[in-house]
Amino acid sequence: MINGNLKATYAADEQVLNNAYKRAFVYGMALLCAALPFVANDYIILVAAQMGIILIAVVGVNVVIGYTGLLSLGHAAFIAIGAYSIPILHTLFASLGVPEGIMPFLAIPLAVAISALVGIVVGLPSLRVKGLYLAVATLSANFIVIFLIELDAMAPYTGGFNGINTPEANLLGWQLDTQREMFALIAALAFVTILGVQNLFRTRVGRAFIAIRERDYSAEVLGISLLRYKLLSFAISAACCGLAGALFAYFYARILPEQFELVLSLQLVAALIVGGMGRTMGPVFGVIIVVMVPELLKYSFGIIAGGSADVAALRAPVQEIVFGALIIIFLMFEPLGITQIVDRGFRSLNRWPFARG
Amino acid sequence: MTLNRRSFLARSAAASAVLAAPTLLKAQPAEYVFGASLPLTGPFATAGQLVAPAFAMAQRLINEEGGIGGVPIRFVTEDSGYIPQNALANYQRALATEGDALVAYFGDSTGFMKLVAPELKGDQARLMGSTSFASELANPEVNPYQYLAGPSYEDQFDILLQNIANQGGSTVAFIFSNTEFGRDPIEHGKKRAEELGLKVVLEESTKPQGADIPTHVTKLAQSGAEYCLLQGYVTGVWPQLIGGARQFGLPTKFMGTFWGMEKIIADRVTEQAGPFLDGYQGVMPYRYFYDRADAPRYETFAALSKEMFVGTPLENYMPTWTIQTMCAIEIAVRALRDTAEKGLELTADNTAESLNAISDWDMGGYFGGPVSVEGGKIGTGRVYTYGAENGLFTPSSDWFNV
Amino acid sequence: MGQFVQFTLNGLLAGTIYALIAVGIVSVYKATRVVNFAHGYMIMFGAYFYYTFAVLLPGLELMPSWLAKWEPDWLIAARENAPMFSPMGAVLDWVSNLPRIIFGITGAVIACAILGRMIERMLMRPMIGQSSFAMIMITVGLISVLSGAKGLIWTADAAFVPHIAPNAPVRFELFGNPVFLFGADLANAAIAVILFTAIVLWVRYSKGGVAIRATAEDQQTAYSMGISVPAVFGRAWVLAAATGAIAGAILATRNGVSPSLGLFGFSVLAIVLMGGLDSYVGVFIAALMVGFLEAMAQWQLGGEWAEVVPYIAVLIVILIRPHGLLGQKEVERI
Repeated sequence: MINGNLKATYAADEQVLNNAYKRAFVYGMALLCAALPFVANDYIILVAAQMGIILIAVVGVNVVIGYTGLLSLGHAAFIAIGAYSIPILHTLFASLGVPEGIMPFLAIPLAVAISALVGIVVGLPSLRVKGLYLAVATLSANFIVIFLIELDAMAPYTGGFNGINTPEANLLGWQLDTQREMFALIAALAFVTILGVQNLFRTRVGRAFIAIRERDYSAEVLGISLLRYKLLSFAISAACCGLAGALFAYFYARILPEQFELVLSLQLVAALIVGGMGRTMGPVFGVIIVVMVPELLKYSFGIIAGGSADVAALRAPVQEIVFGALIIIFLMFEPLGITQIVDRGFRSLNRWPFARG
Repeated sequence: MTLNRRSFLARSAAASAVLAAPTLLKAQPAEYVFGASLPLTGPFATAGQLVAPAFAMAQRLINEEGGIGGVPIRFVTEDSGYIPQNALANYQRALATEGDALVAYFGDSTGFMKLVAPELKGDQARLMGSTSFASELANPEVNPYQYLAGPSYEDQFDILLQNIANQGGSTVAFIFSNTEFGRDPIEHGKKRAEELGLKVVLEESTKPQGADIPTHVTKLAQSGAEYCLLQGYVTGVWPQLIGGARQFGLPTKFMGTFWGMEKIIADRVTEQAGPFLDGYQGVMPYRYFYDRADAPRYETFAALSKEMFVGTPLENYMPTWTIQTMCAIEIAVRALRDTAEKGLELTADNTAESLNAISDWDMGGYFGGPVSVEGGKIGTGRVYTYGAENGLFTPSSDWFNV
Repeated sequence: MGQFVQFTLNGLLAGTIYALIAVGIVSVYKATRVVNFAHGYMIMFGAYFYYTFAVLLPGLELMPSWLAKWEPDWLIAARENAPMFSPMGAVLDWVSNLPRIIFGITGAVIACAILGRMIERMLMRPMIGQSSFAMIMITVGLISVLSGAKGLIWTADAAFVPHIAPNAPVRFELFGNPVFLFGADLANAAIAVILFTAIVLWVRYSKGGVAIRATAEDQQTAYSMGISVPAVFGRAWVLAAATGAIAGAILATRNGVSPSLGLFGFSVLAIVLMGGLDSYVGVFIAALMVGFLEAMAQWQLGGEWAEVVPYIAVLIVILIRPHGLLGQKEVERI
C-alpha cells in the first residue's frame, strides 16, 4: 500500500496502473525488455529468457497459493504438460498438413488448454482436503505426471526417459531460431500474463478467490461456489504454467522429464515466498532473486575458484543452502516478501521528510 | 636431437603456426578455451572429483607441446551436479561469454549429451566429447559434433555377451539403473543375446542410488541367471548388489561395463566389506594405468602425476575415469591441431571433419594398438577380471574390435 | 505362489521400516501440528552420521584398533574354521564389527537428536503462533539447507556401512518355490516394530507421553494445567530425530549411504497422510500396505512402478477418506 495516492475520479481509481510508481515501473520494464534484444549480450539474453519463462509460471502459482490460499507443491507437472504438448501437437499438425507458420498459434493455446484441464483434475482433491493434505496430493500428482511421461508405453509420444526434440516456433514465416528472437516472444507473453492476472483480481472471479483464501466456509455462506472457484483457480494457474511450459519447449531444443521434477515446483513456491504472496509484483521480485542469486554465486565462485575444481565443488551445496535459507529467512522475518520491503521504501520516500517508516 | 612424436608434433605445430600466421591472424584469439561440465557434486561426485585433475594435467601437457597451432589453450571446468539442465546452462553460458575462443566442450552425462545435441547447429555448435559412451552419440549423420572416446555401451554389451557365449553360458540377467545411462544398451542387448542363443531371464531396473538391494537380489535369485550384466552405475549399487548376492551364496557371475570397472571402488569394497568382488568381470576400452609396459603416454602421465598431485589418490594411480577423459581431450586436441595445420578456422564443422578423419593413430598406449575414429567412436575393448588378492584387474580376453 | 510369498515378505519387511520413519513425522505432528517435510533429510543425516561414527571415525589413527575391527583370539580361530560367505562367517563378521556398530548407532542417535533439537529451537519455536503454512514451508526450506549442508560436510559419496545384525541368508521352501530372505532384514524389521511399539506405549502411558497428547488436544489448556508446551515440542523433535537416526542407519545398511535417502521422506509423507496424520495405528497399517503394494508392483510391473505406488495410493485414499484411514476429522469453527 502506498499512501499519498489521491484519486479524484472513479476512472482513476479503476485503472490497472493506479499510481505513478506502478506506471513508471511497468513502462520502464517494457522499455527495457524492448531494448534488451538489441543491446544485451548473449549471456544476458539467456538469463533474461529463463527469468521470463519462470516468471510466467510463478504468476500462475501466485493465483492458486497467493490469492486462493490453496497450497500446491506440484506445479512443475503443469509446466511439463505444457512443454510436452508442443512437440506432440506439432507432430499431429504436421500429419494434418497444417502450415508451419501458423502451428504455434494453434499449439500454444491448445497446450495452455490441456494444462488447464489437467489442472482441474489435479485440483479435484482440493474440494475435499485442505492445506497440508492438498500439498501432499499435488506433490503426488507431480511424481505421477513425471512417471507417466517416462513410462515406456508413452515413449512413442514423449520420448520416455530420453526426452524429445522440440520444434522451433515459426510465427507466420518468422522463424524464431535464436534465443534473442525467442526472448522477444517470451517477454511479450510475460507482460500479457502479468497484466491479465492483475486484471483478474479486479473482477468478481478474483474477489471470489480472495474470499476463499480468507475463509472458505464464510465464502461459501456468501454464495461463492467452492467447487467452481477452487477448480477455476487451479485451471487458471495451470494454464499459466502450461504457457510457461510451451515457451520452455520452444526455447530449448530438447526437453527431458527430469527437468520438471519436484525441485522445479519448490523453486516456483520459493520465488513466490521470497517475492511476496498475493501481490502482483511478488512473482517479479521473487523470480529476479531466485534466478539471479545462483548466477551471482556462480560468478563469484568463478572468480574465487579460478578453475580450481575443489572450490567449484562447493558452489552447488552453497547454492542449495542459500536457496533454503532464503525461504526460511523470508518466512521468519518478512513473510510478506520483497514487495513489502519495496512498499516500505516507497512509503518512507513519499512521507519524507515528515515521517519515517 | 631425437625426433620423437611429441617433439615432432610440437615443432610441426609451431611451424604451421608461423606459415599460416597471415591467414589466421584475424580470426585467431589470444588463447583457446576448452570448456567442461563435471559432476563435482551429486550422485557421481566421486567420479567427477577424480576426473577434474585431468584437465589441469591436460592444460599443462598440451601447452608444453605447443598448444593448438602455437596458441595456448585454457580449460574451464564447472560443476553440473549430474543434472543435464545445469550442464546445458554451463555450456550456453560458456558460449555466450567465450564466443569463438571456445573451441571444444566436454560433457558429463548421457542425459546432457542428448539434451544438447539438437542445440548444436550453426554458431552454437562446438566439438564435444563426454564421459558418456551412449550409442546414440556415435552417429555422425545425426550428431556430427559429438564423439565417443571408446566403444559405445551397446558395443560393450556385445563384447560381454560374446564372451558369455564363448564360455558356454545360457542364461543372463540385465540389471540397470533407471537412467538414460542405464537403459542405453538394454534393447540392443536383448536382441544381441537372442542372436547368440542366450536367454534373458531378468530385466531389472533399479534406482541409480539408494536402490532397494534385498528386493533386487531376491529377484535375481528367483530368476536363476548364470550371468548378470550390470549397467548404469558408477560408485554405488553395483557393489552392494554383488555383496548381497555373495552373502546369499548365489553362483551368478557378475559383469560390468566401463563405469563399473574402477579399481579404486573395487579396492574400497574389498577393504570395507570383504573379498566378494573376486572374479568380477567387465569390459574396458583402455589399459589400466598400472599396465604401462609399452605405453609411453602413460609414462608421461605418471611423471606429471608425481609432480602435480602429491598427496592425492592420483599421485601414483590414474583411475580409468580420468584416463577416459584424457583420451577424449587428446582426440579433440588432435582434431583441433589437424584443423589448424590445414590453415582452417577452428569451427565445429572443420574440427569434426578432422576428427572423423583420424585413422591408424598410435595414441601411446591407451588402447591395444593404433586406433581410428569410425562412426564417431573408437570400437575396441577387452574383458578384464578382478582379483581381490592383488587388487588388480587383469585381462582375460584379447582386444575385441567392434 | 512361492513368488507371491517371497514378495509379500519383502514388502512387509520394507513396510516396517517405513513405519519407523513415519513415527517421527506423526510424533512431531501430534505435538506441534507441524508436518515435517524435511524428515527424509533428517534420516539422510542419520545415515551419514552412522557412516561417520561407524566407518570414518573408527578408521582414524588415534582411535583404538579394536573399535574398527574387534578381533580377540577366539574370534580369529573361529573364523578360520568357518568357510567364507557361510552363515557362521556372517555372524562372526558381525561380532567383529560389533564395537563400531554400537559406537555408530549411539553416535548417530545423539548427533541426530542434537540436530533435531537445534531445528526446533532455531526455526520452530520462534514460529509458534504463526500460520501452519509458514511452519510447513520452513520445513520445505529446510530440505534445501540440509541437502546443501550434506554436500559441504560429506563431499564425496560413501561406500559400505556395517550391517546392524548378522546378514546371514535365510532360505526355505514354500509351496515348492524357494524363498530367500536376508537375516539383517528380519532383524531390522524386528527393531523397527519394537521401537514403534515402545513409542506408542510411551505416548499412551508415560507422563511425558501424556503431556504430548494433552498438547495435541489443546495447547492453551495444556499450558494452564502446568504442562510446559515448549518442552513438549522439544521432546517431540528429539524423539523424531532419534528414531530417524536409527531408520537412517538401517536404510544405510540396506540401500547404501547416499543423498537419495532424503527422497524416502516424501513417500513416507504420503504414507502418513494415507494412514491419518494423528493415528499411529493407521500409519502402521498404511506403511505395511504400501510396502506390500510396492513389492507387488516390483514383482509384476518393474522398479519404476514401485516408486509411484505410495503417491497413487495416497491420492486414492485421500479422495475417499479425506483424513486418511484412521485419522481424526478436524472440526472447524467459523
